[in-house]
Amino acid sequence: MSIGEKANTHKEYSNERNQWIGKRIARIDGPEKVTGELKYMTDENYSNMVWGKVLRAEYPHAKIKNIETEKAESLPGVICVLTYKDIPGFNGFGIVTPDQPVLCEDVVRCTADAVALVAAETSEIADEAINLIHVDYEPLKVVTDAEYAMTGEAPYLHPDGNIHSHVKINNGDVDQAFKHADYIFENTYYSPRQMHAFIETEGGWGLVEEDGTLKIQCPGQYAYRDRLQISRTLGINPERIHVISSPNGGGFGGKDEITVQIYLALLALHTEGRPVKIHLTREESVQAGMKRHPFKVQVKTAANKDGVITANQVRAVADTGAFASLGPAVISLAVEHACGPYKIPNVDIEGFCVYTNNGIAGAFRGFGVNQVCVGIETHIDMIAEQINMDPIEIRKKNVYHQGEKSSVGHIVKSSVGTHETLEKAQNCELWTNQNIYKSQPSEPWKKRGVAVSTSFHAVGMGLDKPDYGAASIELLHDGRLKVAVGPEEIGTGNGTVYAQVCAELLHCDMADISVVQGDTSETLDSGTISASRSTYTGSRAIATTAPLMIELLTGTASEMLNIPAKDIDVEDCNVIHKKDHSILLSFTELYDYLSINKTSTKVNSQFYLPKEKEAIKGSGGAPHHIYGYQTNVVMVEVDTLTGETDVLRVVSIPDCGRVMNLQGLEGQTEGGAIMGIGYTLYEDVIIEEGYHKTSNLGDYIIPTIRETPEIETIPVEAPEPSNPFGAKGIGEVVMIPIIPAIMSAIYDATGARVKHLPATPERIFNAMKSTTSSVPMSSR
Amino acid sequence: MIKTSEMQVVSPKSLDECLYLLNDQEKNNRLIAGGTDAVVRMKDKKWTPDIWINIKGMNELRYIRKDPSGIHVGPLTTHTDIVKSKLLQDKADVLTFAAKEVGATQMQNMGTLGGNIGNASPTGDTIPALYVLDARIELSSLYGTRTVPIEEFFIGPGKTVIQTDEIITDIIIRPQDTSEIGIFEKLGPRKAQSISIVNFAASINLDKEGHHCSSGRLAFGSVGPTIIRAKKCESMLTLDRFDKSLTHNISKVAWKEVAPISDARASSNYRRDMASALLERGLLRLMKRWENK
Ligand SMILES: Cc1cc2nc3c(=O)[nH]c(=O)nc-3n(C[C@H](O)[C@H](O)[C@H](O)COP(=O)(O)OP(=O)(O)OC[C@H]3O[C@@H](n4cnc5c(N)ncnc54)[C@H](O)[C@@H]3O)c2cc1C
Repeated sequence: MSIGEKANTHKEYSNERNQWIGKRIARIDGPEKVTGELKYMTDENYSNMVWGKVLRAEYPHAKIKNIETEKAESLPGVICVLTYKDIPGFNGFGIVTPDQPVLCEDVVRCTADAVALVAAETSEIADEAINLIHVDYEPLKVVTDAEYAMTGEAPYLHPDGNIHSHVKINNGDVDQAFKHADYIFENTYYSPRQMHAFIETEGGWGLVEEDGTLKIQCPGQYAYRDRLQISRTLGINPERIHVISSPNGGGFGGKDEITVQIYLALLALHTEGRPVKIHLTREESVQAGMKRHPFKVQVKTAANKDGVITANQVRAVADTGAFASLGPAVISLAVEHACGPYKIPNVDIEGFCVYTNNGIAGAFRGFGVNQVCVGIETHIDMIAEQINMDPIEIRKKNVYHQGEKSSVGHIVKSSVGTHETLEKAQNCELWTNQNIYKSQPSEPWKKRGVAVSTSFHAVGMGLDKPDYGAASIELLHDGRLKVAVGPEEIGTGNGTVYAQVCAELLHCDMADISVVQGDTSETLDSGTISASRSTYTGSRAIATTAPLMIELLTGTASEMLNIPAKDIDVEDCNVIHKKDHSILLSFTELYDYLSINKTSTKVNSQFYLPKEKEAIKGSGGAPHHIYGYQTNVVMVEVDTLTGETDVLRVVSIPDCGRVMNLQGLEGQTEGGAIMGIGYTLYEDVIIEEGYHKTSNLGDYIIPTIRETPEIETIPVEAPEPSNPFGAKGIGEVVMIPIIPAIMSAIYDATGARVKHLPATPERIFNAMKSTTSSVPMSSR
Repeated sequence: MIKTSEMQVVSPKSLDECLYLLNDQEKNNRLIAGGTDAVVRMKDKKWTPDIWINIKGMNELRYIRKDPSGIHVGPLTTHTDIVKSKLLQDKADVLTFAAKEVGATQMQNMGTLGGNIGNASPTGDTIPALYVLDARIELSSLYGTRTVPIEEFFIGPGKTVIQTDEIITDIIIRPQDTSEIGIFEKLGPRKAQSISIVNFAASINLDKEGHHCSSGRLAFGSVGPTIIRAKKCESMLTLDRFDKSLTHNISKVAWKEVAPISDARASSNYRRDMASALLERGLLRLMKRWENK
């Protein structure tokens, strides 16, 4: 298929011979989720429980002069009221820089800031107590805009100023290229503050167990890192903390950072062994939860008459709100991806991660790439139109292939499927018949447009961060197997892939595998569920562990039966003779033998993810070694009377390396498409003067089933050499190119370009109005 | 402010019992029907009565029937009841279209017509339809009943002429003529579960071929403190042949009849433009339906 296959260093796994991998497999957690039988951790209640609540800042920026808690403390039913004074260890958290106070002491920097905690007998008493805490504030000037924050006029929100990070990638000579270019396009694009809007808002449980262990049950995206951050604040050894972080009612990056784990831990220390629950209301989640960074992106692109892009200059400014969280990593990834999966010889890219008083921004599916893909993709379409070239041809002309140099200047050694995704796009039914579809709007005043876009997204951590995977497999007393992998179930279906891989390699039925994820007492540290890494990481970790289990099983059988281990294999939870496939022993018999002999029935192993050798200086982590690629074709219909826009069809063409589970892949492409539609047309958390104007899901508009179009998935398989199955990751890229594709399709339909997302009916209507010719009716 | 856990809920078994409860002015009370507005306000601590008078189960106020004085719709009739009613599909099509646009299925199953009126939101979707059907609202108290024309019923956002001891007991609408056809248009931020940015109801009389309009009623919602009847536009309906170009000309005037505000959902300018757009789109769709009839 591609060069990737030849370079594959691992044993070939062909999907045809596989029993589980690459097949269309239903989610192992599907039925219980669909029926509602599964309880999320926040659905649980216990008879001896107490309720925890958080007092949030009243002002987006203010000095705290005094905090009075006496009245709240004396309210009957209140168990404890905690402030910064009650923090035994370090009063701060944050994945990259711990700049966010657990409980504010002298200043609040956004309305998400926590000032005090309460535990009480009922939720209502806890609310009342929160209202009885009196905080004396002195309001300070509010920094509402990232560009303003960077000027000398703005007050410093943190000691080192408001620019948290500034990253750059330079290649070639853009000035020369602009001088000699046939065409130059220059535009500024604005992106929305998207909310994760997961079904389960942030929440969980804290409990000090009888043996003194602190147990935190709280949906999260990296139990071991949560544990570390909790331990720092409590000043205790992480070993004394047990974190259970799976399953999640949705994560999307919004539970990557600490949400309420540390509050739970602090309160649990004061509830005398009673479990304490915090569960944010949707309103509190809107106000206090992480959001996607809104970006301002200025893009200047040069091209020659033949369609070759010669230069791209990008300046991206990310509003990270009051705290860094993963902001610096987001802006680094944005800079790395700002020129698309192309080989542009001259680039000048810079990005700023900037503090403001606008809530907090952090990780979110796509991680900065959503915001920057719009500029390059839109400009490519503008160039194509200018020189009258097909939008797919111009992309094919500019994309890099495996072994070629990317725009950021490194040779891409991992698999690259972009070209093939574009070919599939070119041949897909929607693209080839686009003129027929466009000529058939559903009502005479509506117009249809079809457009294509392509993008990419790194898999795994950047060059400057550790990145490893681990798995353990245990033989259980009933002869079944338990596979434990760190990355949590956050809705992606990774657990199903883990069961598939384990069943495949240990030659048994998937029903004989139980999967454990996200539990520090059961799973080894295996990194995050983020960065599109968990299919790649988990599958490879299991593949490095499975041979150890086979060795244990065949070795034990050999010892018991006195047959050479090399003549023994495993099948359907039995050990068999390789020659005649006769059953020698059942796994239960092996288990009994091992436990009588006090031998562990568990094996585990680790691996380190591949990395580039040479860093791009000043880029903050570029380049990555592996990327997933994706092309989208979409058709929209715009009501020219109102600006209302329907996405009617989506073709999603991911290059995911080898498909591990076709149904899971479709789950991702479809969910990603819908989330991309929401980002492009509907969603934005509006903050004015530091206060949230958006309060709930009534005014935060996410797509419903009626906004969900027909979505077709056409996978491209460019196997990744470094994964034993050829897998990569597509959890994020599936929502990226659909964004510029919808924007271009609106242009194709109406001639109007919207550069400020979301493209609401009003913005589209106004854009149509200003292109006058395309508006059949203008009332004034 | 009363705690939610201390609020009482009483469920009267009959209208009489309900009127007694309403008459007790010692306690601060409020009616709750489907609760799709009431529970939201309670959660936001905007509505905090001591007693909720739960009338959802009062089936005597859930009916749709016709007599010589008009079509009577009980206040506890749900939006789903309205959508499914043959009588209303025939004689008050515009109301069925409007009810179909309220929230989504779940809201239509729980939410009631009386609640939509009682909530008195300028964005309430059934209200413009009730305007073009010349609805009259019957209010009852322990001391008697009175009937108020819909145009006098709303006095501002969330405000009506209902007294604290009164309850809506009937909604009387004019049955459409055989020559009459209606349409409801809604512009929201998305297709379902959305509050109207602008909505529009029309019910007009056409000749058989649909070439001429003899009279018509047009009403806009969400473009003023209460619903606005577009009287200038109405008078233009009969001026000329009823066709695309007339519709277009009327739409050009529509924005002048409305007085919208800017808020988080839309600017006043856009709402003005949309009054025109919905009128044009609505009448175009209405023509198409008439053709297919
Ligand atoms: C998610 C969601 C989406 C929604 N979408 C829409 C929409 O698209 N369009 C729309 O118009 N509305 C919408 N609504 C609002 C609501 O569903 C409707 O207004 C509904 O008709 C209210 O009816 P109810 O029976 O639930 O009223 P309730 O909530 O029970 O009552 C509402 C008010 O009316 C009063 N009341 C009720 N019955 C009577 C009576 N017989 N006499 C006097 N006063 C009475 C109550 O005291 C209260 O003040 C939505 C609500 C939600 C939660």
